[in-house]
Amino acid sequence: MAEEESLSEELEQLEFLRDRHVRFFQRTMQVLPEMYASLETTRLTILFFALSGLDVLDALDVIDSNDMIEWIYSLQVLPTEDQSNLSRCGFRGSSHIGIPYSTKGHGVRHPYDSGHVAMTYTGLCSLLILGDDLSRVNKQACLAGLRALQLDDGSFYAVPEGSENDIRFIYCAASICYMLDDWSGMDVQKAIEYIRGSLSYDSGFGQGAGRESHGGWTYCAIASLCLMGRLEGALSRRELDRIRRWCIMRQQSGFQGRPNKPVDTCYSFWVGATLELLDVFQYTNFDKNRTFILSTQDGLVGGFAKWPECSPDPLHAYLGLCGLSLIGEPSLRKVHPALNITQRAFEHLRQLQQTWRGQ
Amino acid sequence: MHGRVKVKSTAQQEEEKRKEREKKLKIYTAARDACFSKRKDGVCDEEALHLTQQLLSSNPDFATLWNYRREILMHQETVKDESEVQKMYQNELSFLESCLKVNPKSYGSWHHRSWVSERAPQMDWARELSLCDRCLSLDDRNFHCWDYRRIVVKKSAVPVGKELEFTDRLIGSNFSNYSSWHYRSTLLPLLHPQSPESAPPSGSSPPSPQTHSHRVCEEQLLKEYELVQNAFFTDPNDQSAWFYYRWLLGRAEREEMISCVFISRDEERVAVAFSRPVQAQSGGLLLVLDGQPLQVDWRSIHPRFKHSPVWICDLPPGSINNIANEHNLTVHWPEKHTRRDCALYTGRNESWCRDSATDQELFRSELSVEKSSVLQSELQSCNQLLELEPLNKWCLLTIILLMRALDPLGYEKETLAHFQTLKEVDSMRSAYYSDLCSKFMIENTILKMEYAEVRVFSVSNKNLTTLCHLDQLLLITHINLSSNQLRHISFHFSMLQCLKVLEAENNCIENLEGVYCLPKLEEVLLKNNNIATLAALRPLATCPKLRLLDLRGNPVTQSADAESHLAELLPSVACLLL
Repeated sequence: MAEEESLSEELEQLEFLRDRHVRFFQRTMQVLPEMYASLETTRLTILFFALSGLDVLDALDVIDSNDMIEWIYSLQVLPTEDQSNLSRCGFRGSSHIGIPYSTKGHGVRHPYDSGHVAMTYTGLCSLLILGDDLSRVNKQACLAGLRALQLDDGSFYAVPEGSENDIRFIYCAASICYMLDDWSGMDVQKAIEYIRGSLSYDSGFGQGAGRESHGGWTYCAIASLCLMGRLEGALSRRELDRIRRWCIMRQQSGFQGRPNKPVDTCYSFWVGATLELLDVFQYTNFDKNRTFILSTQDGLVGGFAKWPECSPDPLHAYLGLCGLSLIGEPSLRKVHPALNITQRAFEHLRQLQQTWRGQ
Repeated sequence: MHGRVKVKSTAQQEEEKRKEREKKLKIYTAARDACFSKRKDGVCDEEALHLTQQLLSSNPDFATLWNYRREILMHQETVKDESEVQKMYQNELSFLESCLKVNPKSYGSWHHRSWVSERAPQMDWARELSLCDRCLSLDDRNFHCWDYRRIVVKKSAVPVGKELEFTDRLIGSNFSNYSSWHYRSTLLPLLHPQSPESAPPSGSSPPSPQTHSHRVCEEQLLKEYELVQNAFFTDPNDQSAWFYYRWLLGRAEREEMISCVFISRDEERVAVAFSRPVQAQSGGLLLVLDGQPLQVDWRSIHPRFKHSPVWICDLPPGSINNIANEHNLTVHWPEKHTRRDCALYTGRNESWCRDSATDQELFRSELSVEKSSVLQSELQSCNQLLELEPLNKWCLLTIILLMRALDPLGYEKETLAHFQTLKEVDSMRSAYYSDLCSKFMIENTILKMEYAEVRVFSVSNKNLTTLCHLDQLLLITHINLSSNQLRHISFHFSMLQCLKVLEAENNCIENLEGVYCLPKLEEVLLKNNNIATLAALRPLATCPKLRLLDLRGNPVTQSADAESHLAELLPSVACLLL
């Protein structure tokens, strides 16, 4: 009897519960539990997880796109009439600073209002996912805001007032330039030098020079170079082979982010997508990967957690789906490994870019 | 989103928790609003400090508030004397410590601490180091703390030797400390640099600082080998020591160079192979024929490649087609200050100049060749460990690496045997190991071919799952890939510019995209493969001299009118076997 129970439990574990995940993301966009209050300043990234998650699930029909699009545009830091705040433009994480709601016209002068590079990145992605044509994005302002964030060593701050600076924000910057089809937003060569400088002795990438290798930063490095079209130019064949080896060794069942750390659902995407970009993802074990991801699935509320028996959250829910998509889970849309949006959304971007170039 | 474990609680407990949270939330929003109205009015006083403190205690990730706090502190500097400023910053450090106790992984808190350490009139660096020690004792993988430690060490000029001792202590008490090994890798080259004569040549791309252990002097390296061996003998299953060991054994990247120039009178064409993929289109390469610079258009092996290890150009018609004439050709690569000469003699249809892979020690698996006695002794140690731990994958991998460094051909049999074991003990990565093994078999075949001084490449029946090093095969005329497990002849195959015969029976080949514009290709033998569509055969139409094609045992031959369609697609193929 006990054996049958555990067998059926096992089978239940391996079943992908699509509908629960759809409802998880819907709830994410309506109300968040109080413990998420600290993420208020980065709310737009949470929206991105939910939207892109629904896109991967092919369930965008459950939301009101127009409403969402308006809200996202309200987060754009618009240039003031005298254009004196261009270096502070981009997208905010939420309305927490208290700027009056506005989706058009001139910006309001406020000493502490500025874009945040990760919000600009996820804001643009979210608009694309919702099918918007980015016509209300002030591209030149965004690019000016981006340029103001790059340091001499090639890395980026997150905000113009200053913050920590590292490879994460290079990835955001590269994605922004890629989407806006305009690399004047950054000094690409300097960024590449910073990326190369972050390659560690074991051929993973750290957050910056001298820092420990990590699956997330390795993704940022490789995906950035791919978006820039400079992967082969920036890294030798030998270096690429060693990076492949470091990444492949991260699989234990699912993937870990660093050696001797426990596996965590999100690395099924960060490391998986890196391996995909390096053309060796097919050498990983799909079954073990899938079994681990599904072991972190929450059968009741939907979503995925970083570890089994933990509470799910939007980030792991989204990246868990992306991890499954990489291994070809049938009901899921394919994800563009460098830009981290569905291929469908990517196609939409491509078409937009074609019309821009035609003009 | 940091891994909150589910905990069941009673309804009453839930209600109490809810009330407490609501109370906190009210205080939080009130403080936040007060804070922003102060900020809006440009107020930078003690009360503002107090307000931001309240908020940041519960939400250290509110970046804007840290920035506001920094403004307040800087303003306070202008209205306080030095001892008051010192006290203010000391309070700040205490406040930060309490934040870090609650959340030791907050970017905002660590960043702010670093900022404070620059502003405070006096910093107690010993105390900062001890804070790091304590933090690391709770979580030795907290990279925020490690990063801060590096900053403290730099700012307070802690001698590198002392930090090295610190890693000695950590590693000594727990070999499995990956972050310590990492830190060590950054310290060693600083303390024991190799002499400047062996610095990488100018003009090479900027090295990443940590990738090359050749920046550590020999004496220290030998000591490190001993340390690392202790580690992996103690716990052979821990990756830390093995990755570090691999780094120690590593050697410098080769200089970039032109590895081969090939000239053919028939097509009046020059093919150039490089040691790595390059972008030669943007005027990077110069051609000089018989002392005269020639204007030519360089193209890569396939239109889809902007970067390629092989580049081709056509010479102006009549330049070299008269077999009675001798010619001297030089290819210049100004960016890398290098060039290659090639003489085309009277009576000869083709000519080449190439560095052999053997001489270049191309496949010596990245290891330091000048110290073969050291490598030999390392191999002995690892073999000893293997006797105790025959199924340890790290040991097997390292032994394979060492054997390839010492004598790739001599150790071929053992290498294959070890790969077999490796695929069994680490079956999750067996596809990766098959790929790696294919690569080594191809390398060995290239070495054998060079030794025999022939232009025939045969890797038949070797369980090949993939092709690589195709840039080394620029000169070969015959290739035998039969009886393997190949599925694709990928785009890179078009580097085989001299190829006349392609034998690939008994594989699982589905696509031939790399059999593209091969000017000398005459025969393609594909019996018993998986070519399923006419479209898959389209690349063959770009090969002007193709006259024999064997497609027996392929699904495409089963489709209706296969023969006539093929004849239409490949009209010049006189002999078509279906």
